[in-house]
Amino acid sequence: MFENILLGFATAFTPENLAYCFLGVFLGTFIGVLPGLGSLAAISMLLPLTFYLEPTTALIMLGGIYYGGEYGGSIASILLNLPGTPSAAVTCLDGNPMAKQGRAGVALFITAIASFIGGSVGIVALMGFGPSIARLGLGFSPADYFALMLLGLVAAVTVGGGSVIKGLIMVVLGLLFGTIGTDVTTGDFRYTFDFLELRDGVSLVGMAMGLFGVSEVISSIRGSKTRTITEKVTARSMIPTRADIRKTFGPIARGSSIGGFLGALPGAGTVIAAFMAYATEVRLAKDKTRFGNGAIEGVAAPESANNAAAQTAFIPTLTIGIPGSATMSIMLGALMIHGISPGPLLISDHPTVFWGLIASFWIGNVFLLVLNIPLIGLWVRVLQFPYKYIYPVVIALICIGVFSMRTSVFDVSLVVIFGALGYLFQKTGYSPAPLILGFVLGPMLEENLRRAMLMARGDPVRMVSDPLTGSLLAISALMLVWAVLGGIRNIVAVRSKAKSVPLGEG
Amino acid sequence: MKTVSLRLVVAALLAGIGLTALVVGSTYDLGSARRMGPGYFPVVLSAVLVLLALAEGVSAIVKRDPENPSSKVDWRPLLAILSAVAGFAITIAFFGLIPAFFVVIGLSTLSERGYGWKPAVILSIITCIGAWLLFSQLLGMALPLFRLGL
Repeated sequence: MFENILLGFATAFTPENLAYCFLGVFLGTFIGVLPGLGSLAAISMLLPLTFYLEPTTALIMLGGIYYGGEYGGSIASILLNLPGTPSAAVTCLDGNPMAKQGRAGVALFITAIASFIGGSVGIVALMGFGPSIARLGLGFSPADYFALMLLGLVAAVTVGGGSVIKGLIMVVLGLLFGTIGTDVTTGDFRYTFDFLELRDGVSLVGMAMGLFGVSEVISSIRGSKTRTITEKVTARSMIPTRADIRKTFGPIARGSSIGGFLGALPGAGTVIAAFMAYATEVRLAKDKTRFGNGAIEGVAAPESANNAAAQTAFIPTLTIGIPGSATMSIMLGALMIHGISPGPLLISDHPTVFWGLIASFWIGNVFLLVLNIPLIGLWVRVLQFPYKYIYPVVIALICIGVFSMRTSVFDVSLVVIFGALGYLFQKTGYSPAPLILGFVLGPMLEENLRRAMLMARGDPVRMVSDPLTGSLLAISALMLVWAVLGGIRNIVAVRSKAKSVPLGEG
Repeated sequence: MKTVSLRLVVAALLAGIGLTALVVGSTYDLGSARRMGPGYFPVVLSAVLVLLALAEGVSAIVKRDPENPSSKVDWRPLLAILSAVAGFAITIAFFGLIPAFFVVIGLSTLSERGYGWKPAVILSIITCIGAWLLFSQLLGMALPLFRLGL
């Protein structure tokens, strides 16, 4: 264990890796600060840049972009009341009132500290539990893998809230998009419609850039003119009072634990972690009215939670090869592009990748502390820069990024299609994250199902009768039933309300 | 009413995708439950997608959402940005990277009324220089800066 950590730091401390780690967190924060574009868009945009790097270096940079984006998102939340990333949405609730009271500096300072502590807790959890979970994963049969992935997909749909049916549609659509290309088992072409480019499947980056990048830019153009920042953030204004510090101890500790736990579960992710941490603080508080009016606990708890979750999200991805969120599925795609097959053997086969990456997380978090406290003025200036000069360049970078992946014009036209789809989905209340998750897990899900059914001689009962597989499938089924029942109750509630309230007033 | 109809349109679109996948997928070898062919998984998925999309369509008719300004389609930026990306794809295939950057940025700026061509040209020039430095000089990628024809 100890020598592994040393190996990790030895890997991460080479000048090249340090430089790319810094570049990663810097670019991640930059894109995270921009409203609308989150860490997922940031990773997909910058993925082509990492092609020319060593796998470890590439992952260090991508990891930095990811949690850098999580840090950056909160800056826009506090100063503009506009979440830079979805997981920072909760931070708006109390962060922006704090800014309105002239305490933006304190809010930003506490955010940076809470994020750092949360991130560190997540890293320790990753180091402690990662290897043992990987050992557990070695004993999984194809049927267990199938059941685990299914559980992850069901969790992504049911835990996040929102319409279950829309979530299921997104998952199934993603799985279906995943079947496009060459069938792994037989080598047959499926849904290629005689396009040579589709034989390798739909480009993950093209899809992600359309669904997240392009559609987010389209919807953030309107209303971008009205944003103004009046607060001045000086170094002096960042110093918190003694009471502030005392009040944040508990929330940071609770937020980090909640986030660290939820982040490792499939489907939960950073957004849920932040919400849960905030809700816990509200429940525990003696004076609940302070929340929403600039309570410092309301900034500290969700920020420590989402950064802890951002780190522990790597546990299932790196140890058993099953990503829990859409962003992690892009990271998994990046691993595969760099020739590292994810799964329980990753830690033992590529110890430098695993431990080097973890060590770099901690170094990256230290960099972020520097970037977010002494250099906060830089990000404020980025936010003040008119959005109208930013989005055309973002679109251009999306285009060149997708094009340069495979020098393919076809992939760029996929961005048009997925951009239109993503915008439509957004307007009608579909979340594209389960789609990406389904797309990445699809081929693995199918392969394991086919193997499992072959081993069970085509008898599903035999497959389900295995205790682990059976219980995992049962959990998925229960979650689904529970969510659907909740949905029905909602419909009934809405119908009865609609009856009592005359139309036009509601 | 407007949001209901858009929800319905999307549900119909999804059902259409599912139906197409079902029809095309049923031409592939299905195999058996024990030895699944390439068609098994996609056919099951597309059937499920059709059913789910139908259910969503019904719920869009039955359960009306309150009118919500954020669910209105902004046609101008939508068309401008999508045509910018499409323009990039076409231009880079025939004329190379630098003209493609001018096209994508120029068309993007049509998202807003009264953007003016001067900032668009300046942004394009900056992006070209930046991309050239990053991709060609730093990363050594062979990208066609200019070309004529395919």
